Amino acid sequence: MCTHNSINSGKEITLTIDGKVCKSTFGKTILEIARENDIYIPTMCYLTKVKSIASCRMCIVNVDGVDGAILSCQERATDGAVVTTNSEDLYAERQSIMKLYNVNHPLECGVCDKSGECELQNKTMEFGLAEQPFTARDQSRPVENWGYVSYDPALCIMCEKCVRVSTEITGDEALQLQFGGYSSKIVNTQIDKNYSTLGEAASVCPVGALVDTNFKYTTNAWELSKIPSACHHCSAGCQMNYEVKNDTIYRITNNFEFTSLCGAGRYGFDYANKGVTKDSEAFNRAVEAMKSAKSIIFSSQISNEEAYILQKIKELTGAKLISNEARAYQKFMQAYSSVTGKHLYNGNLKAISNSTAIIVLGSRVNDDAPMVKYHINMASKWNRARVAYMHPIEDVEMKNLVTQFMKYEAGSEEGVSALLVDTLLKDIDVPKDVRAFLDDLDIGNLSAGSNIGEEEFELLKKSMIKKRDFSLVIGADLYTHPRATQIAKIIALVEKYTNFNVVCIPPSSNAMGVSLICDLDDEADEYSVGYNAKANFTLSALGDGDLDMPALNQQEGTMVTIDKRLVPMNVAQPYGGYILNDIANAMGIGARYTIDYTKSLPLEKGFRGVEFDALDDYFTATGDEKRGYLLELHETPTEDNFEEIEELDGFDGAVIYNCNPKDQFSPFTNLCSTIKDESKLVGSSQFAIVTKLQDGDSVSFTVNGIEFKRLFRIEPSMKGTIAINPIYDMGLSTPLVSYYRFNKVQIIKEEKKED
Amino acid sequence: MSLEQFKNRNVGVQSYKTLDVGTPPKTGMEKFTQVVKRSVKGELFVGLGVVMKRMLEALFKNDMHTVKYPFEKMPISPRYRAIHEMLRLLESGNYRCIGCGLCEKICISNCISMETRYDENQRKEVSEYTINFGRCIFCGYCAEVCPELAIVHGQRYETASEQRAGFSLFEDMLTPIDQLNLQQEFDGFGAVSPNADDNIKQTPLAY
Repeated sequence: MCTHNSINSGKEITLTIDGKVCKSTFGKTILEIARENDIYIPTMCYLTKVKSIASCRMCIVNVDGVDGAILSCQERATDGAVVTTNSEDLYAERQSIMKLYNVNHPLECGVCDKSGECELQNKTMEFGLAEQPFTARDQSRPVENWGYVSYDPALCIMCEKCVRVSTEITGDEALQLQFGGYSSKIVNTQIDKNYSTLGEAASVCPVGALVDTNFKYTTNAWELSKIPSACHHCSAGCQMNYEVKNDTIYRITNNFEFTSLCGAGRYGFDYANKGVTKDSEAFNRAVEAMKSAKSIIFSSQISNEEAYILQKIKELTGAKLISNEARAYQKFMQAYSSVTGKHLYNGNLKAISNSTAIIVLGSRVNDDAPMVKYHINMASKWNRARVAYMHPIEDVEMKNLVTQFMKYEAGSEEGVSALLVDTLLKDIDVPKDVRAFLDDLDIGNLSAGSNIGEEEFELLKKSMIKKRDFSLVIGADLYTHPRATQIAKIIALVEKYTNFNVVCIPPSSNAMGVSLICDLDDEADEYSVGYNAKANFTLSALGDGDLDMPALNQQEGTMVTIDKRLVPMNVAQPYGGYILNDIANAMGIGARYTIDYTKSLPLEKGFRGVEFDALDDYFTATGDEKRGYLLELHETPTEDNFEEIEELDGFDGAVIYNCNPKDQFSPFTNLCSTIKDESKLVGSSQFAIVTKLQDGDSVSFTVNGIEFKRLFRIEPSMKGTIAINPIYDMGLSTPLVSYYRFNKVQIIKEEKKED
Repeated sequence: MSLEQFKNRNVGVQSYKTLDVGTPPKTGMEKFTQVVKRSVKGELFVGLGVVMKRMLEALFKNDMHTVKYPFEKMPISPRYRAIHEMLRLLESGNYRCIGCGLCEKICISNCISMETRYDENQRKEVSEYTINFGRCIFCGYCAEVCPELAIVHGQRYETASEQRAGFSLFEDMLTPIDQLNLQQEFDGFGAVSPNADDNIKQTPLAY
């Protein structure tokens, strides 16, 4: 949403709209205030989440004492203004705008995907246009298939919403306007990249010009029932609706006025565990296995309630709970809160988009957390924010918003965080022991070890002068680092002593929920039961385990998002088999439904004891999020003890970085036929030279005991000797790879078969 | 009967005539006299004579007054609502159905279901279309709402079968391509109104 910076902003004002006295604050537009007060002003191009576009002129209003009509979406309200939103003249004006929108608009509503939810249709009816009074010489305008979305220029009304979303929100900057009077159209400048983020641009299209290719012409909008839920592919937990007909999900929509979805969220819905029936023999074996299990290994892509059931089982049988990614995050956050005194970080996504300076450390953020990238992009576009991106690998997809790329050596994260914190706390009063720790740092040595020059930090410091709101984004590279607890304590100093908005991105979908609910252990013992993870006895929603489990779109539950918000998820697909709660019931932990546990989630971790059915899931007319609830922040005991920075063995030579492409997060997204990705090892030509590989070679290597067989591809835009290896396609083994993401591995080149 | 008369639904203004049927006998004596009168008058033979005449006409003059059902069938009103037919375009033979889904939406017994897809020519195409005739109440809304006159009610009223599903697929209802020349334009519900020409407006084309 827009942020207006002005001296007067925030000052109380009173104005009259259509005779209604409205109180608001200075800085808001007339349209915003009208919406706050439930006063209707028609718009065609207005989209709340981007800056006002002002291309349609439908939102014109009259203000007493001002000649002519003014655009209410752009004009900030002033104190004492008297506004009229509707009169005969305004109606006539709006009606003629609608006449012009309808010039040559094809009369094919019968087959148009948008029919029934079309803004043009609605407004044409609203302004009583029974015919198209004007026309122009028509021209051939063929439909363009851009991959994930298709564009029909004949239907386009040139409202620019898609272009703004592509630029201001998703940041792919693929769409542009091509002006040419009646032959104006939208052009995709990155057609070969087939950005899945264009789905977000398609969702805001008010007409049927930009639609999802896989949805196109498959059904009518009014046949679909909307099931509100949250996307659980990553920790952002974005609001979305499953649109379902005959037990099939046809598409994902969202409340696009206020929120966004990434490619995986929009197209990754086809992963349900279908056709499962109750196999009582397998179930009995599962109950026996669970009773005798010494440890339960699970991926953190489960609901809070399931995590709570696992915790209950642990309390009953004493089994160890193993979830590597959540455990690493749990330890990191424990160390973090031992410094800050709060059990969670202070930041959230909205604060990132309002920042004017952002530092990203330890995350390939475009791939790991698209929603964080969107918010950084918003800050970059709206506030011209400085973005410092600290990572061992440069990311071309981030190039247009990163102002300073700081490359460090893989493995030197501890030194880098110390240097960063030293820079940020330089002129700030901190207690003596912290100051002593910072003064003791061997800057020269650290900067040599991490390969970031002192001048780079000076530049960073300089770039933050005169900036107001700051954000620090911490990524998954740090949680699994061997020195994670020390890093956490160092980073926590930033939250404690500066006004930074710090966000520690949870490493996978519900890692935060799991880390708060479960009492996790480090090492697994034999005999193990796995839940979506390979073990002696495996419960799996992927359809290949010893007992089937429902996928997350087949069960009710809640998850905790990056905003520290508990959000509900609902059932979109039928499921006929046994669930985890059945196993728990068979073991004597009784609850009729899984969601009966929602109110029992631990209060001391910030949960509020609200029943599942009492959770809200909507946005208000002005965009306030009323989904679930925000976790309460609790005080934790603090202890400041810093160890010396340890020197690590360098990661020289060929290194592999575990990182999924941006539309893939887990084995679940891998099941979706609508997401098209090849899993391959991608490296620079430099990496190819070091490892003596060629483009197109088949290679095999082992990371944390899991063997990978991959095709190697040279990516010309990459540099350095670190290659990127996706792990989403390893099925039940994927959760087992969640250790430190950089690995030195032995790459074995497989002999090519000679045909 | 012409189509205009069928379409005239305003029954209130039609003129009815009452026949003079006299007064029925009341007492037993009156009833007795009526029976005797009718028996003696020989009216019975008049009736028998008419039957004989018709029989002879039918046998020797080939002037039959009954229909040899099921070998012969009476023409039925175009407003009769029997099993649906899916029509084709006369010129190209393509389906008329554009897959708009209005019939599916308007169906009050929820018996129409259809699936559509994005075809190779980037057009909307119907891939599945079925009517559940166990549920269909033959109300005719589907034919009335169809913007293309693609789904209509046909004349096939003999629907006794072991499985009504046998009528219900798109292909079963579709005009066979080799009988396209026999396809009749539909005159019933949803057909073009008699004054359609007067209602047509010119498309505003400036060229």
